[in-house]
Amino acid sequence: MIPATLRLTLIVAVICYFVIILYFLKQKALNLKYTLLWLVAGLVMGILVAVPELLVSIIHIFGIQDNMNGLFIFAIGFIIMILLSLTSIASRQNRKIRTLTQELAILDKRVRELEKRDTE
Amino acid sequence: MKEKEHKVLIIIPAYNEADSIIQVVSHMREQAPWCDYLVVNDGSTDTTRSLCEQEDFSYLDLPINMGIGGAVQAGYIYAYKNNYDIAVQVDGDGQHDVSYLNRLLEPIIEGEADVVIGSRFLEKEGFQSTLGRRMGINILSALIWLVTGRHIMDVTSGYRAVNKMFIKIYSEDYPMDYPEPEAIVAAIMHLGRVKEVPVQMRAREGGISSITFKKSIYYMIKVTLAILICRMGYGIRRGKREDIQNPRGKE
Repeated sequence: MIPATLRLTLIVAVICYFVIILYFLKQKALNLKYTLLWLVAGLVMGILVAVPELLVSIIHIFGIQDNMNGLFIFAIGFIIMILLSLTSIASRQNRKIRTLTQELAILDKRVRELEKRDTE
Repeated sequence: MKEKEHKVLIIIPAYNEADSIIQVVSHMREQAPWCDYLVVNDGSTDTTRSLCEQEDFSYLDLPINMGIGGAVQAGYIYAYKNNYDIAVQVDGDGQHDVSYLNRLLEPIIEGEADVVIGSRFLEKEGFQSTLGRRMGINILSALIWLVTGRHIMDVTSGYRAVNKMFIKIYSEDYPMDYPEPEAIVAAIMHLGRVKEVPVQMRAREGGISSITFKKSIYYMIKVTLAILICRMGYGIRRGKREDIQNPRGKE
């Protein structure tokens, strides 16, 4: 069983986590679209802290002996998934920037041609 | 002349090629006056852009550096939007001799090929690159043969001509960092007819190659993976050309 003090720490941590995210959202420093993932993560953490028996039984299903180890493994797995999704967001944005740059260059050429035609 | 019936665009990607760009363009105007050309300045940090402006070249100015793939793709998008029949890509450093242009154009004009690659290894004349590079090229060539079943000798040659069908395909999707070998795989997987013609290349006139010795290991790993992933992306596609629409109409 997870010790009571640890449970308390985790509850405080989850609350801090939500406060920080909501603060960033309010400041518009985070885009809600990309923050949903973090909010879901927080929700899962909150549920697991509130009902630790759930975590224990999940950990046992996966054959992990130690509860704390299980917690770490899940946390790391979650972080890797979020990082992967961030990489995919970065790649998608890269693609969009590329298209924009190319279109911009083509428009720039057209503007130059039109200006030249005007002055002639 | 048959060439005049086809609208041809020569794409010249240029990143910091101030030493050679004027020579490349003027040589091209002499050798191929019936073709349009387009210099793509890939966010150069030297005077490439101002030279283009000063000489009144036809050029695209990419505001940020995107690498050769992004620059060439910009040229293909331009060619597609302006309804060109054939696009030719030539490096901006003067390696590629425009006097061989007709050899590249001929198979496309005759309708024999969709993508034509200028190869320095077919007749083994002119600048043959260094031993190490040739080894690397042979490995990639073997890899492309392995995944597509087609023998292409000079897989890193950036001297290419493509027809209208591939102007569209490449304008929509062109590989990025070291695009040449990957673009061949993409062409074959789109059931394009890829043909190599012999050309001679010169050692570079100015600027530095984008692939320094230090980067060559990274290059090989990156390109090998890119080829495999590119091949995987198409899955098993061994149908006939008619399975995809044939935009060229008659055949």
